Amino acid sequence: MRPILLSGHERALTQIKYNRDGDLIFSVSKDQQICVWFAHNGERLGTYHGHVGAIWTVDVDPTSTIIASGSADNTIRLWDIKSGKCLKTWEFPTAVKRVEFNEDGTKLLGVTEKRMGHLGTIVVLDIKVDVDAEQTDEKELTIVCDESKATVAGWSYLSKYIIAGHEDGSVSQYDGKTGDLIYNIPIHELNMAITDLQWSPDRTYFITASKDKTSKLITASELEVLKTYVADTPLNSATITTKKDFVVLGGGQAAMDVTRTSARQGKFEARFYHKIFEDEIGRVRGHFGPLNTVAADPTGKGYASGGEDGYVRVHQFDKGYFDFMYEVERERQNRLA
Amino acid sequence: EDTERINSADVAVVQERRRLLEEWLAWRKSMEEEAAEERAALGLPADPVADLLKAKTAELAAGEEEKIIE
Repeated sequence: MRPILLSGHERALTQIKYNRDGDLIFSVSKDQQICVWFAHNGERLGTYHGHVGAIWTVDVDPTSTIIASGSADNTIRLWDIKSGKCLKTWEFPTAVKRVEFNEDGTKLLGVTEKRMGHLGTIVVLDIKVDVDAEQTDEKELTIVCDESKATVAGWSYLSKYIIAGHEDGSVSQYDGKTGDLIYNIPIHELNMAITDLQWSPDRTYFITASKDKTSKLITASELEVLKTYVADTPLNSATITTKKDFVVLGGGQAAMDVTRTSARQGKFEARFYHKIFEDEIGRVRGHFGPLNTVAADPTGKGYASGGEDGYVRVHQFDKGYFDFMYEVERERQNRLA
Repeated sequence: EDTERINSADVAVVQERRRLLEEWLAWRKSMEEEAAEERAALGLPADPVADLLKAKTAELAAGEEEKIIE
């Protein structure tokens, strides 16, 4: 599994997203750049210029027409993928840490940072997936997180729920239309922040990553924990693969948090776990610093990781990966054949 | 005797995995059905994106045709 190294960013990566077809990769970084790359050869197609602060988050609509980005410059911006033009800028009182489109791209949520005098919020914007359309200035909804700020959030299937992960390790379920809080459940260790939340393809369940060194698979409708993946390092990101029942976790201790160099050895790896059996089944090395973001190609062909080292590494899975099967999985496949 | 013990441990592991796999597949099936029913009840298409992609492809094709006319 030889990776393609995407070098174009000058500082730590913060988020990577594939489009639905898996042919484009969008990456954002503290270097204030948004880049788009061809997934198959790592060629850079272009960049999107305008943000004047670290960019924390990016998402692409399901038709690969527009992207949204959120930044430390306190804005969410909407971009035309093709022309690179900025279509809209929304301003907020604080940094925007996460953006996500709902399943049909008609709504965008943004998670805003907590800062003196401002509570963390989750805002919802109505979106027209049309590069020529006028976008609204108004927020459709603002959810105020007065208990613990949200660090990540996303839309469930049918845009029925907004699910948020919090700094205190809890997960909330809000009504997707009214923004009313339905549940708030302590899922990860208390005060160990949830660092990532990514969906299954049908958005009926999701995976979290946490500083408590675990990752959990959770249902959207009941917030029931289905699976727990235990790592030996704080996690920054987790993603669910398609085609094979795996999950990929990324993390690692930041250099400044490590007192002895030896403790850092071998921790900058992407870890593969079996989604159903929870076993760790392999690791992929390569980064020189913690993995800040991992993303699975929605078509199941590969995955990408973005590191504190400023690199994006894109991996295409090989035959061995697809052939790998547990005895009980093979047994079932044979039975169905 | 040792071999027997190892074998029975292996059998237990395999049985547990078989149970986990069955449990997972059963949950997926019920969840997929539930989501599909809710989608239908709301009058939404089974695949939320298929129609959007079709519309986009049609629009692009129309754009190409216009160019040809020019």
